[in-house]
Amino acid sequence: MITSGNCSNLPQAAKKEAPLASRNELSEFLAGVERRAYKQALFAVRNDENALDIVQDSMLKLAQKYGDKPAAELPMLFQRILQNTIRDFYRRQKVRSLWTTLLSALSPGRDEDESDPLETLESEPDSKFGENPADRLERYQVVELIEKEIKRLPPRQRQAFLLRYWEELDVAETATIMGCSQGSVKTHCSRAAHALAAVLRTRGIEL
Amino acid sequence: MNEQHIAYRIKQYLNQGLDLDSARLARLKSARDQALASQRVESPAAALAWAGNVIGRFGGPASLIPRVLLPTAVLILGLIAINQWRDSQQAVEIEEIDAAVLTGDLPLDAYLDKGFDAWLKRPSH
Repeated sequence: MITSGNCSNLPQAAKKEAPLASRNELSEFLAGVERRAYKQALFAVRNDENALDIVQDSMLKLAQKYGDKPAAELPMLFQRILQNTIRDFYRRQKVRSLWTTLLSALSPGRDEDESDPLETLESEPDSKFGENPADRLERYQVVELIEKEIKRLPPRQRQAFLLRYWEELDVAETATIMGCSQGSVKTHCSRAAHALAAVLRTRGIEL
Repeated sequence: MNEQHIAYRIKQYLNQGLDLDSARLARLKSARDQALASQRVESPAAALAWAGNVIGRFGGPASLIPRVLLPTAVLILGLIAINQWRDSQQAVEIEEIDAAVLTGDLPLDAYLDKGFDAWLKRPSH
């Protein structure tokens, strides 16, 4: 369970009297983190538009609620907001799918033959890689494979692995954001890393 | 192969996947600009800004005089006037009683009132 978005659990190092983030510092921080944030959201929700919406919401919340915080606190605050926004998306989607299921069961008019299966293929987020030039194809294929396998990881393992190794947060910060013990973070990270290595090895990719 | 090495290599690949197309980059930039436009800023003048907001609720310094100060001044002047009128009324009543006592123009009932008799016998009168 992810804890709420206050900053009371921030590490003492980040709580020291630090200069507040200026507009430029916030801009630089967001510019540096936005693409990774988008990918993190995409791995989690597997939909391009939803991932972009989640990043936009997270940026807005950070600026509106914590825009006056020291620059050193921004990475952890943003990651906490991002993870909470992803979790909120899951919740909304769960409620929406429940209502959709109920309503579709009650409404007799819809014929399944009317739906075109090709429509669903257009929303595959990975299809953009097929459009890349041939000389970059091999490299992108490996990237694509790794991204696909990261999507397949259990959510908690994926979350711990990305926060710890991609966002370079330490174990304590990752544990605070995830709302679990540091031991759990280490376990999730280890399992994720070895699961990814094992899957890639079966595909002939040695790390 | 240890965990740190695996993570480092995967991180390298993940970073290579950050080359987004122009549409997504534009969307992210738009989101960033929107966030920056609504950035919360805490400045040393926050208290002054708060005070300014309070004054601003009354319509600003220009309208403060007719809307607040003028009614207050009228109220104070009115209270002073009422107080002075009451003092003058009491003085007139005392003058009338004194004049009646001196001229012997008091009604008969006044002498039948034991309280009035006691009042007259007091050494100060």
